[in-house]
Amino acid sequence: MTTGQAVKQRAAKAAVSTPTDREIRVERIFDAPRERVWRAFTDPALLAQWWGRGNKLVVERYELERGGHWRFVEHADDGVHGFEGRFREVTPPERLAMTFEWDGMPGYVAVETTVFEDLGDGRTRLVATTLFHTTEERDGMLGAMGEGLDQSYAALDRLLAGTA
Amino acid sequence: MVQYSERLDTTFAALADATRRGVLERLGRGDASIGELATGFEMTLTGMKKHVRVLEDAGLVTTEKVGRVRSCRLGPRRLEDELAWMAGYRRMLEARLDRLDELLKRTKGRTE
Repeated sequence: MTTGQAVKQRAAKAAVSTPTDREIRVERIFDAPRERVWRAFTDPALLAQWWGRGNKLVVERYELERGGHWRFVEHADDGVHGFEGRFREVTPPERLAMTFEWDGMPGYVAVETTVFEDLGDGRTRLVATTLFHTTEERDGMLGAMGEGLDQSYAALDRLLAGTA
Repeated sequence: MVQYSERLDTTFAALADATRRGVLERLGRGDASIGELATGFEMTLTGMKKHVRVLEDAGLVTTEKVGRVRSCRLGPRRLEDELAWMAGYRRMLEARLDRLDELLKRTKGRTE
Protein backbone atom coordinates (compact mmCIF):
# COMPACT_ATOMS: atom_id res chain seq x y z
CA MET A 1 0.00 0.00 0.00
CA THR A 2 1.50 3.28 -1.09
CA THR A 3 -0.99 5.48 0.67
CA GLY A 4 0.84 5.52 3.98
CA GLN A 5 3.84 6.96 2.25
CA ALA A 6 1.74 9.49 0.39
CA VAL A 7 0.24 10.67 3.66
CA LYS A 8 3.67 11.00 5.24
CA GLN A 9 5.01 12.99 2.34
CA ARG A 10 2.16 15.43 2.38
CA ALA A 11 1.98 15.68 6.14
CA ALA A 12 -1.65 15.95 7.19
CA LYS A 13 -2.98 16.69 3.73
CA ALA A 14 -5.63 14.52 2.19
CA ALA A 15 -4.53 11.97 -0.39
CA VAL A 16 -7.08 11.98 -3.18
CA SER A 17 -7.03 9.25 -5.79
CA THR A 18 -9.19 7.55 -8.39
CA PRO A 19 -8.85 3.82 -7.66
CA THR A 20 -11.34 2.98 -10.42
CA ASP A 21 -13.02 5.04 -13.12
CA ARG A 22 -16.19 5.26 -11.07
CA GLU A 23 -14.69 6.05 -7.71
CA ILE A 24 -12.94 8.77 -5.82
CA ARG A 25 -11.09 7.94 -2.66
CA VAL A 26 -9.76 10.30 -0.06
CA GLU A 27 -7.63 9.34 2.89
CA ARG A 28 -6.43 11.44 5.77
CA ILE A 29 -5.12 10.92 9.27
CA PHE A 30 -6.49 12.99 12.10
CA ASP A 31 -4.77 13.51 15.40
CA ALA A 32 -7.84 12.57 17.40
CA PRO A 33 -9.34 9.35 18.77
CA ARG A 34 -11.84 7.56 16.58
CA GLU A 35 -14.85 8.35 18.78
CA ARG A 36 -14.19 12.07 18.43
CA VAL A 37 -13.80 11.90 14.67
CA TRP A 38 -17.01 9.89 14.47
CA ARG A 39 -18.81 12.49 16.57
CA ALA A 40 -17.51 15.35 14.43
CA PHE A 41 -18.96 13.46 11.46
CA THR A 42 -22.31 12.57 12.92
CA ASP A 43 -23.26 15.34 15.35
CA PRO A 44 -25.18 17.93 13.28
CA ALA A 45 -23.92 20.81 15.43
CA LEU A 46 -20.32 19.74 14.81
CA LEU A 47 -20.90 18.85 11.15
CA ALA A 48 -22.17 22.34 10.45
CA GLN A 49 -18.82 23.69 11.59
CA TRP A 50 -16.70 21.97 8.97
CA TRP A 51 -18.68 20.45 6.11
CA GLY A 52 -19.37 23.82 4.50
CA ARG A 53 -15.67 24.73 4.31
CA GLY A 54 -16.26 28.07 5.98
CA ASN A 55 -19.57 28.65 4.21
CA LYS A 56 -22.72 28.72 6.27
CA LEU A 57 -24.16 25.23 6.42
CA VAL A 58 -27.71 24.47 7.47
CA VAL A 59 -28.34 20.86 8.48
CA GLU A 60 -32.01 20.52 7.57
CA ARG A 61 -32.32 16.82 8.30
CA TYR A 62 -30.03 14.33 9.93
CA GLU A 63 -31.68 11.05 10.85
CA LEU A 64 -28.67 8.96 11.73
CA GLU A 65 -30.01 5.44 11.19
CA ARG A 66 -30.27 3.04 8.31
CA GLY A 67 -32.75 4.49 5.83
CA GLY A 68 -32.74 7.86 7.58
CA HIS A 69 -32.71 11.05 5.57
CA TRP A 70 -30.04 13.73 5.61
CA ARG A 71 -30.06 17.12 3.92
CA PHE A 72 -27.49 19.92 4.04
CA VAL A 73 -27.82 23.36 2.50
CA GLU A 74 -24.61 25.27 1.88
CA HIS A 75 -24.71 29.03 1.45
CA ALA A 76 -21.73 29.81 -0.77
CA ASP A 77 -20.67 32.99 -2.55
CA ASP A 78 -21.99 31.63 -5.83
CA GLY A 79 -25.35 30.61 -4.45
CA VAL A 80 -27.17 28.09 -2.32
CA HIS A 81 -26.41 24.41 -2.83
CA GLY A 82 -28.45 21.57 -1.43
CA PHE A 83 -27.13 18.06 -0.84
CA GLU A 84 -29.10 15.13 0.41
CA GLY A 85 -29.44 11.40 0.65
CA ARG A 86 -30.20 8.50 2.94
CA PHE A 87 -28.05 6.49 5.27
CA ARG A 88 -27.28 2.98 4.11
CA GLU A 89 -25.09 1.87 6.96
CA VAL A 90 -24.50 3.38 10.38
CA THR A 91 -21.97 1.42 12.44
CA PRO A 92 -20.48 3.66 15.13
CA PRO A 93 -17.66 4.45 15.35
CA GLU A 94 -16.36 2.44 12.39
CA ARG A 95 -18.36 2.86 9.26
CA LEU A 96 -20.84 5.22 7.70
CA ALA A 97 -22.40 4.80 4.26
CA MET A 98 -24.91 7.10 2.65
CA THR A 99 -26.31 8.04 -0.70
CA PHE A 100 -25.37 11.45 -1.98
CA GLU A 101 -27.23 13.70 -4.37
CA TRP A 102 -26.62 17.29 -5.31
CA ASP A 103 -29.62 19.48 -6.13
CA GLY A 104 -27.75 20.62 -9.24
CA MET A 105 -27.93 17.11 -10.70
CA PRO A 106 -31.07 15.56 -9.23
CA GLY A 107 -31.45 11.83 -9.72
CA TYR A 108 -27.73 11.20 -10.07
CA VAL A 109 -26.95 9.28 -6.93
CA ALA A 110 -23.51 8.42 -5.61
CA VAL A 111 -22.71 6.27 -2.58
CA GLU A 112 -20.27 7.61 0.00
CA THR A 113 -18.66 5.16 2.37
CA THR A 114 -16.51 6.47 5.18
CA VAL A 115 -14.34 4.14 7.25
CA PHE A 116 -12.85 5.31 10.54
CA GLU A 117 -9.76 3.33 11.45
CA ASP A 118 -8.35 3.49 14.99
CA LEU A 119 -4.57 3.67 14.60
CA GLY A 120 -4.08 2.75 18.25
CA ASP A 121 -2.01 5.83 19.09
CA GLY A 122 -4.80 8.34 19.56
CA ARG A 123 -4.99 9.00 15.85
CA THR A 124 -7.62 8.01 13.32
CA ARG A 125 -7.31 7.23 9.65
CA LEU A 126 -10.31 8.28 7.66
CA VAL A 127 -10.91 6.70 4.27
CA ALA A 128 -13.86 8.03 2.31
CA THR A 129 -14.83 6.44 -0.99
CA THR A 130 -17.47 7.83 -3.31
CA LEU A 131 -18.86 5.41 -5.89
CA PHE A 132 -20.66 6.85 -8.88
CA HIS A 133 -23.02 5.04 -11.22
CA THR A 134 -20.92 5.83 -14.29
CA THR A 135 -17.63 7.59 -15.04
CA GLU A 136 -19.59 10.31 -16.81
CA GLU A 137 -21.67 10.92 -13.71
CA ARG A 138 -18.57 11.12 -11.56
CA ASP A 139 -16.91 13.59 -13.87
CA GLY A 140 -20.10 15.49 -14.52
CA MET A 141 -21.04 15.91 -10.90
CA LEU A 142 -17.60 16.89 -9.74
CA GLY A 143 -16.96 19.12 -12.70
CA ALA A 144 -20.15 21.04 -12.14
CA MET A 145 -20.38 20.89 -8.37
CA GLY A 146 -19.79 24.14 -6.60
CA GLU A 147 -16.19 24.41 -7.67
CA GLY A 148 -16.28 26.05 -11.08
CA LEU A 149 -13.48 25.71 -13.55
CA ASP A 150 -12.03 29.05 -12.49
CA GLN A 151 -11.60 27.86 -8.95
CA SER A 152 -10.21 24.58 -10.15
CA TYR A 153 -7.66 26.31 -12.27
CA ALA A 154 -6.84 28.62 -9.40
CA ALA A 155 -5.97 25.47 -7.49
CA LEU A 156 -3.75 24.33 -10.33
CA ASP A 157 -2.10 27.73 -10.37
CA ARG A 158 -1.39 27.51 -6.67
CA LEU A 159 -0.05 24.02 -7.11
CA LEU A 160 2.27 25.29 -9.80
CA ALA A 161 3.38 28.21 -7.68
CA GLY A 162 4.17 25.82 -4.86
CA THR A 163 6.18 23.45 -7.02
CA ALA A 164 7.92 26.04 -9.22
CA MET B 1 -3.68 3.79 -8.00
CA VAL B 2 -3.45 7.07 -9.87
CA GLN B 3 -2.13 9.82 -7.62
CA TYR B 4 -3.23 13.26 -8.66
CA SER B 5 0.11 14.72 -7.60
CA GLU B 6 1.94 12.54 -10.07
CA ARG B 7 0.39 14.21 -13.10
CA LEU B 8 2.90 15.56 -15.48
CA ASP B 9 4.30 18.99 -14.83
CA THR B 10 3.94 19.93 -18.48
CA THR B 11 0.21 19.59 -18.20
CA PHE B 12 0.11 21.90 -15.22
CA ALA B 13 2.34 24.39 -16.97
CA ALA B 14 0.18 24.28 -20.06
CA LEU B 15 -2.95 24.83 -17.99
CA ALA B 16 -1.47 27.61 -15.88
CA ASP B 17 -2.18 30.24 -18.51
CA ALA B 18 -5.64 31.74 -18.96
CA THR B 19 -5.35 32.01 -22.75
CA ARG B 20 -4.31 28.39 -23.08
CA ARG B 21 -7.20 27.30 -20.92
CA GLY B 22 -9.45 29.36 -23.15
CA VAL B 23 -7.99 27.69 -26.24
CA LEU B 24 -8.72 24.25 -24.79
CA GLU B 25 -12.24 25.32 -23.99
CA ARG B 26 -12.66 26.69 -27.52
CA LEU B 27 -11.28 23.52 -29.13
CA GLY B 28 -13.61 21.49 -26.95
CA ARG B 29 -16.42 23.02 -29.01
CA GLY B 30 -14.76 22.25 -32.33
CA ASP B 31 -11.52 22.42 -34.32
CA ALA B 32 -10.09 25.80 -35.27
CA SER B 33 -7.16 27.20 -37.21
CA ILE B 34 -4.42 29.16 -35.47
CA GLY B 35 -5.67 32.22 -37.33
CA GLU B 36 -9.19 31.75 -35.99
CA LEU B 37 -7.86 31.25 -32.48
CA ALA B 38 -5.66 34.35 -32.74
CA THR B 39 -8.65 36.42 -33.86
CA GLY B 40 -10.89 34.95 -31.18
CA PHE B 41 -8.42 35.74 -28.43
CA GLU B 42 -7.39 39.09 -29.91
CA MET B 43 -3.71 38.31 -30.25
CA THR B 44 -1.09 38.03 -32.94
CA LEU B 45 -0.60 34.91 -34.98
CA THR B 46 2.90 34.54 -33.52
CA GLY B 47 1.60 34.83 -29.96
CA MET B 48 -1.08 32.22 -30.56
CA LYS B 49 1.42 29.89 -32.23
CA LYS B 50 3.49 29.92 -29.04
CA HIS B 51 0.50 29.06 -26.89
CA VAL B 52 -0.54 26.28 -29.23
CA ARG B 53 2.98 24.85 -29.17
CA VAL B 54 2.95 24.66 -25.36
CA LEU B 55 -0.38 22.84 -25.50
CA GLU B 56 0.93 20.58 -28.23
CA ASP B 57 4.05 19.72 -26.23
CA ALA B 58 1.80 18.75 -23.33
CA GLY B 59 -0.18 16.49 -25.66
CA LEU B 60 -3.34 18.46 -25.02
CA VAL B 61 -3.64 19.70 -28.60
CA THR B 62 -2.63 18.32 -31.98
CA THR B 63 -2.17 20.39 -35.10
CA GLU B 64 -2.23 19.51 -38.77
CA LYS B 65 -1.26 21.64 -41.71
CA VAL B 66 -3.86 21.58 -44.44
CA GLY B 67 -2.72 23.74 -47.33
CA ARG B 68 -1.67 27.03 -45.79
CA VAL B 69 -3.83 26.66 -42.72
CA ARG B 70 -2.74 24.94 -39.52
CA SER B 71 -5.77 23.31 -37.95
CA CYS B 72 -5.88 22.62 -34.19
CA ARG B 73 -7.92 20.12 -32.26
CA LEU B 74 -7.88 18.59 -28.81
CA GLY B 75 -5.00 16.17 -28.45
CA PRO B 76 -4.67 12.57 -27.38
CA ARG B 77 -4.31 13.48 -23.71
CA ARG B 78 -7.65 14.94 -22.87
CA LEU B 79 -6.71 15.37 -19.28
CA GLU B 80 -7.89 18.90 -18.87
CA ASP B 81 -11.37 17.98 -17.71
CA GLU B 82 -10.10 15.34 -15.33
CA LEU B 83 -7.50 17.69 -13.96
CA ALA B 84 -10.05 20.42 -13.57
CA TRP B 85 -12.63 18.45 -11.69
CA MET B 86 -10.02 16.58 -9.70
CA ALA B 87 -8.35 19.82 -8.67
CA GLY B 88 -11.70 21.29 -7.78
CA TYR B 89 -12.85 18.24 -5.88
CA ARG B 90 -9.54 17.83 -4.15
CA ARG B 91 -9.61 21.44 -3.09
CA MET B 92 -13.14 21.05 -1.76
CA LEU B 93 -12.26 17.90 0.16
CA GLU B 94 -9.09 19.38 1.56
CA ALA B 95 -10.87 22.52 2.64
CA ARG B 96 -13.56 20.39 4.27
CA LEU B 97 -11.12 18.10 6.03
CA ASP B 98 -8.97 21.08 7.08
CA ARG B 99 -12.03 22.41 8.85
CA LEU B 100 -12.65 19.06 10.49
CA ASP B 101 -9.03 18.96 11.60
CA GLU B 102 -9.37 22.45 13.09
CA LEU B 103 -12.53 21.47 14.89
CA LEU B 104 -10.89 18.38 16.37
CA LYS B 105 -7.91 20.42 17.53
CA ARG B 106 -10.11 23.14 18.95
CA THR B 107 -12.18 20.70 20.96
CA LYS B 108 -9.23 18.57 22.07
CA GLY B 109 -9.22 17.60 25.71
CA ARG B 110 -12.87 18.44 26.23
CA THR B 111 -14.94 15.95 28.12
CA GLU B 112 -16.45 13.49 25.75
